[in-house]
Amino acid sequence: MNKIESPEESRKKFDRIFTDLTRSIVKKDELTRFWFFILLMFIGVGLWGWIIQIDKGLGVTGMRDYVSWGLYIANFVFFVAVSLVGLLISSVLQLLNFSWGKTISRAAEQIAIATVALAGIIIVMDMGRPDRLLNVFLHGRFASPIVWDLTVVSTYLAISVLLFYIPLIPDLAIMRDRMGSKVPAWKLKIYTILALGWNGNPQQYAIVYHAVRVLMILIIPIGLSIHTVTSWLFAATLRPGWDSTIFGPYFVVGAFVAGTAALIILMYVYRLRYGLKDYFDDFHFDKMGRLLVLVCLVYLYFNINEFLVPAYKMKSAEGVHLKDLFSGAYAFLFWFVQIAGIALPIVLIRIKYFRKPLPLSIISVFVLFSAWFKRYLIVIPTMEHPFLPVQNVPEHFHHYAPTSTEIMIMLFSFFTSIFIISVLAKFFPVITIWEYAEEKGIDRKYFTEKS
Amino acid sequence: MNTKWKLFLIATLAFPAQQVLSQDWMVPSDHTALTNPSEYNLENIKKGKELYTRNCQSCHGDPGKNNPLALLPLPVDIASERMHANSEGDLFYKITTGRGVMPPFESTISENERWKLINFIMNFKPGGNQLLVDAPPVKVKLLASVNENKSTVEILAEREDAESTGLENAPVIISAKKTFGNIELGRAITNENGRAEFTIPENVIGDEEGYVSIVVSMGDGYDAHEVALEKAKVGKNKVVPRLIKGEVLWSTNNNIQLWLLLSYISAAGGAWLVIGYAIYQIIKIKKLSKSS
Repeated sequence: MNKIESPEESRKKFDRIFTDLTRSIVKKDELTRFWFFILLMFIGVGLWGWIIQIDKGLGVTGMRDYVSWGLYIANFVFFVAVSLVGLLISSVLQLLNFSWGKTISRAAEQIAIATVALAGIIIVMDMGRPDRLLNVFLHGRFASPIVWDLTVVSTYLAISVLLFYIPLIPDLAIMRDRMGSKVPAWKLKIYTILALGWNGNPQQYAIVYHAVRVLMILIIPIGLSIHTVTSWLFAATLRPGWDSTIFGPYFVVGAFVAGTAALIILMYVYRLRYGLKDYFDDFHFDKMGRLLVLVCLVYLYFNINEFLVPAYKMKSAEGVHLKDLFSGAYAFLFWFVQIAGIALPIVLIRIKYFRKPLPLSIISVFVLFSAWFKRYLIVIPTMEHPFLPVQNVPEHFHHYAPTSTEIMIMLFSFFTSIFIISVLAKFFPVITIWEYAEEKGIDRKYFTEKS
Repeated sequence: MNTKWKLFLIATLAFPAQQVLSQDWMVPSDHTALTNPSEYNLENIKKGKELYTRNCQSCHGDPGKNNPLALLPLPVDIASERMHANSEGDLFYKITTGRGVMPPFESTISENERWKLINFIMNFKPGGNQLLVDAPPVKVKLLASVNENKSTVEILAEREDAESTGLENAPVIISAKKTFGNIELGRAITNENGRAEFTIPENVIGDEEGYVSIVVSMGDGYDAHEVALEKAKVGKNKVVPRLIKGEVLWSTNNNIQLWLLLSYISAAGGAWLVIGYAIYQIIKIKKLSKSS
């Protein structure tokens, strides 16, 4: 931290930071409108699909007696996984004093909020009778992992929102004071209300630091349990491919891989779209690339454990399942996921060139896609291989293929989560202004000055 | 699938063979000429009836009622013209050797008994001298009650006529109603007043509270509505095995393990307390901005 003495220089520098970081809010162009139009259109298509499903029942999906968990559950696990980036970036990195994590923590929280909220909605969309949702709460069994999952998902969402909001309060005050005519009056009013009349006194800053630190510590057990409990939904049942003791950590590490990739992509989009080259700079991408390699290595280790040990024994039903993955119907997908999702990043990102923003983002797209297909491979092939033989059922009960309605509803979840991120970026700066300015050595007293 | 249907299926599968077989059942002429060494009298006919009930009735049905089992070819009623187109020697040969779905009885019924069985068949020879005549069923009004203290069933059987006299020396069947039908507990014979008392065996198992539903009925030869006595406390308590043996983690809320419930409540409650604390900090920020 190099203290800048001259007030003029400080003011100038802070002005520049403010202009850069609020560009996402102020920016109004055709592309933005078009983007929101595309998002809303796909959300509409997805809702239409859901209306079809509510009207006709779950029979419109590809799910039948044997494969009763399909695309929705795979998608749910993916969304829970991606949300875990909030834990990794805005808590673990901060508590370990990696200061570069501060810049990207708000983007990480945006992803966490958008995906964990959708994870909850996806579960409701997987219900045949969503109108009976309340029964899950009224008649839930405390010994059921589904109730635990419900609890941790809602708790994690609450903490993520708070972790997003509390560091935002000083920013909201800055925007309230400086935005003036740049934004419509209603938006300014929202800032004023949410800023809670912040006046920047040291006690308030102390409270912000304190509250954020408490939440950062709290989110670690909650974040770990959200994905561990999700893994227990599978591991606590007796089925080939799920009957595993390492499912908890296996899911958590897989989540870090997916979440890190998602954050890299989002950083690249912000960098490009809002001209934040100096904020999300090569240094951040380099660090994120290294982080991705690290989590991929751990994930590789868990994958070897998860597949080598049962494959060594090839127990009857487990053997059928594994053969289908290794060399059967799912072989292409399985090896694609392992290569593009784990091997490729480990090999390529270690080379410096691939830690540059664009190549890293492209690799991250592959990693994220692989992460989604990985969840598909965790859920569906196991459902197709029960311990008892599948017999006396129609041919189409034996295999699962998602229907167009399912894909429509899945698109809803994707576009709605992107929509939430887009709205958050349109309302609030994507990097914490005050924290960033402070990092650059600008005194707090300049933050609340009216411009 | 019950036995009837199994037999029907077997018979259907063997259809082509039976089509041939049912054409004609040739009996060697030396057998046709055989005469029955067993005398045609009431005693032998009764013995034959016993044998018929045990070995033949399940397929051939009640004599004269034409209610055979649905086999191919259809078993012939023993009171029919077609049956009696056979000589006694023919019948003996056919019972002995069997054919198609009709089993051979050479090794299961002795030669002497087979002839007695033919005595019984001859009882129904059209235009013959019928010695064993079934009386028309007696119409009976049956009353029964359970004495829970003595664990007995008290029965009163009366003739359903103008005088309502007690039915003497009649067998009454006492059964317990079970899920898949009635199980016979025993029989009682009525006294000269038409009354009977039946002591329910101690080992009868009732429902979980020991309640048994008793059914009182009368056998062949009587026309009586059966009496159903619902839920008498005369049986042993049924021990219903607990489906979940011992302690399991995945039980219902009623059987939840305390440590699990406490862990859940303390973890979830603790997390939400901290969230509440964080929200309280937000309120503090708001207060601070007012004070200064």
